[in-house]
Amino acid sequence: MRTLRNSLLLSLCSLLLISCADVRAWERGHLAREEMAWDPDPLESALNDHIFFSKEASSGGNSAAGGGCGCN
Amino acid sequence: MNIKQKLQTLSLLACTVFSTPILGLEEGDSAPVFDLPSIYSERPAISTASLEGKTIYVDFWASWCAPCLTSLPLYNDLYHKYKDQGLEVVAINVDNPIEDGLDFLLDTPLDFLIPADPEGNAAELFEVIGMPTSYLIEPNGKIKLVHMGFRSGDIEMIEKAIQDSLDSK
Repeated sequence: MRTLRNSLLLSLCSLLLISCADVRAWERGHLAREEMAWDPDPLESALNDHIFFSKEASSGGNSAAGGGCGCN
Repeated sequence: MNIKQKLQTLSLLACTVFSTPILGLEEGDSAPVFDLPSIYSERPAISTASLEGKTIYVDFWASWCAPCLTSLPLYNDLYHKYKDQGLEVVAINVDNPIEDGLDFLLDTPLDFLIPADPEGNAAELFEVIGMPTSYLIEPNGKIKLVHMGFRSGDIEMIEKAIQDSLDSK
């Protein structure tokens, strides 16, 4: 019975995977917009990072790769 | 087949059915038919019906796509070189808003047909996977070449395919 329940749960979870939406090739311009940047205000980020570094003696790890038009 | 196996099969089937397939049109397929307004509001709409009997080079581009902007002036040269032999270049702009595309065209005037497809309807029909993607369509409506991306040296290969298509007319 437990195996059956687990299988059913697994099946339902696998259905959740279909909720991922694709960004189509021609829609990637939205990702290239300024407001979509990870870092919309570099000056403010630099100041925050400086304060963080002063308090925590560590820095970095606040960006990620992303975007691109899938051109090549 | 027990219940567990049935459920596993069902979940696999669900994933297969509901996941979006990314295939794209291939060489030898029939080119889709489209009818789009020109990016320039004062110019007439552009449709495949009006280009019947011509060798058509369809290119999907956007102002945010750097390789697209490299390729367009080169396509303009190809257009001038081969238009008398029956080549038509159709560069479908997918910028949304279209003003982004028009801004680029102010600095780089192009002489071939430029339809606007801000909603991506034609891009959907062609199943475009990446930007830029271009299609060489022969007068019989079959796709002779599908080219994705644009690197240095690609233009020679594209020109060769266009020449072959025009020679075989």
